[in-house]
Amino acid sequence: MKKTNWLLLVLALVLSMFLAACSGGSDDTSNSTDDAETEDTSSEDDAAAGDSEQVLNITDSAEIPTMDASLATDAVAFQWLGSTTDGLYRLGENAQPEPGIAKDHEVSEDGLTWTFNLREDAVWSNGDPVTANDFVFAWQRAVNPDTGSEYGPYMMGGIIKNAQAIVDGEVPVEELGVKAEDDHTLVVELEKPVPYFESLTTFGTFLPMNQAFVEEHGDQYALEADTLLSNGPFVLTEWNHGEGWTLEKNEDYWDAENVKLEKINVKVVKETSTAVNLYDTGEIDRAGLSAEFVDQYRTSDDFVIDEEPTLFYLKMNQENEVLANVNARKAIQMVIDRQAMVDVILNNGSIPSAGHIPQNFTKHPETEEDFRELNGDLIETNVEKAQELWAKAKEELGQDEIELGYLGGDTEVALNMDAYIKDQLEQLEGLTVKVQSVPFKERLARDEAMDYDIQNSGWGPDYIDPNTFLNMFVTDGGNNKTGYSSEEYDGLIEKANTELAQKPVERFETFLEAEKMLIQEDAVLAPLYQRAKARLWKPYVKGVIAQPMGPDFTYKYAYIEGK
Amino acid sequence: MTRYIIQRLIYMVITMFLIATLTFFLMKFLPGTPLSAADKLSEEQQAVVLEKYGLNDPVPVQYFNYMTNLVQGDLGISFQFDNREVTTIIMERIGPSMQLGVQAMFIGTIIGILLGLTSAIYHNGMLDYSSTFLAVLGQSIPSFVFAGLLQFFIGVKLGWLPVALWEGWEYSILPTISLAIFPIAIAARFMRTEMLEVMGSDYIVTARAKGVNKFGVVFKHGFRNALIPLITVLGPLAVGLMTGTLVIENIFAVPGIGEQFVKAINMNDFPIIMGTTLLIAFLFIFIILVIDLLYGVIDPRIRLAEGE
Amino acid sequence: MDNQKPSKDLFVPVETKETEIDKISRPSLSFWQDSFIRLRKNIGAMIGLAVLVVLALLAAFGPYMTEYGQYEQDLSRAKMPPKVEGLGWLGMDGMLSDVQSADTVEQAKTKAMMRFNNQEEYITTEVLNDGSNGEAAEVKATYDVYAAKNMDENFWFGTDGLGRDQWTRTWMGTRVSLYIAFLAAAIDMLIGVAYGGISAYYGGRVDNYMQRFIEILVGIPNLVLIILMILILEPGIMSITIALAISGWISMARIVRGQILKLKNQEFVLASRTLGAKDSRILQKHLIPNTLGLIIINTMFSIPSAIFFEAFLSFIGLGLPTPMASLGTLIDAGFDSLQIYPHILLFPAIIISLIMIAFNVLADGLRDAFDPKMRE
Repeated sequence: MKKTNWLLLVLALVLSMFLAACSGGSDDTSNSTDDAETEDTSSEDDAAAGDSEQVLNITDSAEIPTMDASLATDAVAFQWLGSTTDGLYRLGENAQPEPGIAKDHEVSEDGLTWTFNLREDAVWSNGDPVTANDFVFAWQRAVNPDTGSEYGPYMMGGIIKNAQAIVDGEVPVEELGVKAEDDHTLVVELEKPVPYFESLTTFGTFLPMNQAFVEEHGDQYALEADTLLSNGPFVLTEWNHGEGWTLEKNEDYWDAENVKLEKINVKVVKETSTAVNLYDTGEIDRAGLSAEFVDQYRTSDDFVIDEEPTLFYLKMNQENEVLANVNARKAIQMVIDRQAMVDVILNNGSIPSAGHIPQNFTKHPETEEDFRELNGDLIETNVEKAQELWAKAKEELGQDEIELGYLGGDTEVALNMDAYIKDQLEQLEGLTVKVQSVPFKERLARDEAMDYDIQNSGWGPDYIDPNTFLNMFVTDGGNNKTGYSSEEYDGLIEKANTELAQKPVERFETFLEAEKMLIQEDAVLAPLYQRAKARLWKPYVKGVIAQPMGPDFTYKYAYIEGK
Repeated sequence: MTRYIIQRLIYMVITMFLIATLTFFLMKFLPGTPLSAADKLSEEQQAVVLEKYGLNDPVPVQYFNYMTNLVQGDLGISFQFDNREVTTIIMERIGPSMQLGVQAMFIGTIIGILLGLTSAIYHNGMLDYSSTFLAVLGQSIPSFVFAGLLQFFIGVKLGWLPVALWEGWEYSILPTISLAIFPIAIAARFMRTEMLEVMGSDYIVTARAKGVNKFGVVFKHGFRNALIPLITVLGPLAVGLMTGTLVIENIFAVPGIGEQFVKAINMNDFPIIMGTTLLIAFLFIFIILVIDLLYGVIDPRIRLAEGE
Repeated sequence: MDNQKPSKDLFVPVETKETEIDKISRPSLSFWQDSFIRLRKNIGAMIGLAVLVVLALLAAFGPYMTEYGQYEQDLSRAKMPPKVEGLGWLGMDGMLSDVQSADTVEQAKTKAMMRFNNQEEYITTEVLNDGSNGEAAEVKATYDVYAAKNMDENFWFGTDGLGRDQWTRTWMGTRVSLYIAFLAAAIDMLIGVAYGGISAYYGGRVDNYMQRFIEILVGIPNLVLIILMILILEPGIMSITIALAISGWISMARIVRGQILKLKNQEFVLASRTLGAKDSRILQKHLIPNTLGLIIINTMFSIPSAIFFEAFLSFIGLGLPTPMASLGTLIDAGFDSLQIYPHILLFPAIIISLIMIAFNVLADGLRDAFDPKMRE
């Protein structure tokens, strides 16, 4: 017995040796990758003598959830879909659509029929030509209830003819208002004139798909690098899900001559400090900065602030008795010192917002004045006035002590900011704020169920038009969820999207009026700030365009110089 | 012995079955569906999505389907990564975590045992105090603070090792060291305590009196006896390390399972939560079985099984 | 070996009177008295105990020693460095400094000034490297934050990102962490020891079922449990308490079981049993005291695990709701500014380490004191 026992022990030891040997084994393989790396650096040295090596090394904060354009819902997915696939148009400089697969288009007089002329030299990475049918297939797939797409119905419903009816299962998918007249002519019929449709076609959900390829791979489509097709500037060549992915230049791209970057290496890095450390050691060419790091790197030559048209604000649930009172809402709007908040807590170039349209987003069609400048600050910070309004509200409500729930995010910045806002709100006499910090998805779920009193929420545009921000708050709007319902406001938005659809100036002015009503008169939201992002960019990276919507960046024209 | 092992294996299956059942119904209590933005979908579409995940059936049917698939090794598809199989996702992520865990346990146990032995042999001497101090320190500093410091000083300032990422064996050194601190501390402390106790017992005193030298006694008699509590603690700890630690994985950007698990929890991705739970549970139960068997090997006086 | 035989003269019988045979030369001490005497002699353990008492007192009274509340914010005084009169030499002088490098001294100086918002009257610069030797020029700027912000009061531990007094928050956080520490220890002692002891002592079927139950508990990750708790209750101290209560004792139960399995077949137990001792007596008088060393050590390990578990929960957003402070949340919040405002992390980290070290040293002392074999 004793002997066998010892044998067992020896066996256990051998097993652990084996495990050690296993890690030793990976040691060997890593040595080979090591060699490859040294080769890389040597070629890099060679390249430095002449031209810089055209490789961009960056990080992303999450892995790609899906590369299926119909199923994509988040920024990471849209970023890499946008880099590998060209839609009808793509976002170029200053967020202006530039030709992608479409060379140009004509719009019928009533604004309902759009005819796109597609280029003939565009091919998929398997050699198939990109045809009008690829768009028809992709768009039908996006609205087909069987696909289970979330963005398809949202982006196309009410815009492309019959889209909503198909989503509701009332008519067959084939009835969607998009037809391939021939291989290179795409005709789209709309439900109503949509002035921003060109901008809309750059969005990920409108990207084409190669029908034969998608059907061949079925369930497995877009799950791995080899079940994906590209027709854009880059091809996804390697995809190690949790770790990172590699894009290489697509030599068959119709505009390949304008693509200088040979390779983009993306690594998944979640911690800001890790990314900054990687940046400092030269492993990556870009790092996002949190408030603390901004203090440290503000004086650096690499420091860049990218403004975004993304707004953050407090949503107030009008089903709550207190928040149904307009004076109470106005008091909340006025009591928060937003300047100090962006300066100290965010510290990344974000600016206080005082409306529900970001600055530098849309301009008056004639005078070219910025929307934000025209409407000015719709709210001010004024604690005394807030107290007065709050006292009035309490009187109207007949309550003295009020407790409100506050739903916020669970990131470090969100926790800090919510603690601050709680403190600011509690300046209102007799108000107690209870903060609940939940993950993003949980917050969306509670928003959907209107299970909150006050909520710290944000919104980025889906297309370049005031409508993307303002139509949220029409009665029963999918993203309203505040209980706000005003016939007058509904009327303004409706008017802007129907009878004024082809009168840009009046339409713009209607939106100005609507925003005033939303923020100033009805105090539906308490605006907080317009987000900016502070980043470090290696000075040798040139030509990357930051985008206000869809993909965060356009890498098509990026190049490395002087590394 | 064989009968005992077979008996335990049967219990193992039953336990796994109970855990699977329990987690399944716990998940049913949690709110949340695969729909990330349900407001954007019509009723019809929601139904289609729910159908895809088999969530339209009554709960008992779902349970039956889940268990049947589970037996065939199919854990379903993830909510957050469309159409990707949970089994594939877990397999992709478990590798780095396992490697880090095994390396950290290996280093941690060896260094820890050595520190503990040193302490015990030179009881109340300088070496004892310094190694105890090291162990206490290792256990007192939060691992992420330690990891952050290692990364900054060794990675950035000195440039000796890669700062983060996962591209080869040398990338695993810093995370391994950060992870190993805790097992080192635990092993050292337990080893010291047990060795001191064992060294005081009669048979050791006898052996010493008979002229066996200090080190001989330590290795021949003391060591083996001190192993019992050590493996009891280190076993489950090893499972904990191998199934990933979110903090270390995040700081060193390691594509491991710990980070995936927490994200799944944040995203209400129930198939991944369940899959990972079952994997962790399996490893725990397996390790506990191994430990129970080792008890008998290490100390023949221990009798576990009934009637033996 | 040629041992010399000792001469018989060395052995002289002690003269004892008949009446003194039964006399006990030392006072009779109970187990606890004896242990306590030995504990008192252990200097390390007494220091550990003293540190814990001081920390507990500071946790109790520290927050009242300044005029700032733990939630009192003021963004104009955010991230103030610590300042204590007379402790300037320790770096607690209320100054921030930063080294900037550039091609020339002038550029470096401009950068250094810019780093502190160009408030020249409060900045002193010092040239570390004038760049003449081909290296980059380096200028160190020191910025008197308290003077610049015209602050009269001192923040002993500085302030955090929202201008809250770190001294107050650190001690409030210590309260939470100490509570969790004692809770964890109590759970371990009560549930863990009893469960492990019973399971191993009775063995057989009882052991089998009790261990399978543990396996089920262990199999369900803590995180899943805590999420359930949060759904039923609200995130906060209560849900952490319950999650710890459900799963915190398992490792202790397994260790006690392992040890008792080892002990229960040994001769002294057998002897006691043969003499007719009851189960409860054998457990209490023989098995538990012989396991005590391990129990204490393991308790000391579950304390840091529990404190770190709370910190981990804060890290993933399931811990204490903001703006409540625990040492875990404070360390977590300070982690991001580790490189630039280290004081936000430093003080909570030092205190958490002090708590751990004190518990450990005390535990060592207790182990030695309770060990029946070490009895003199």
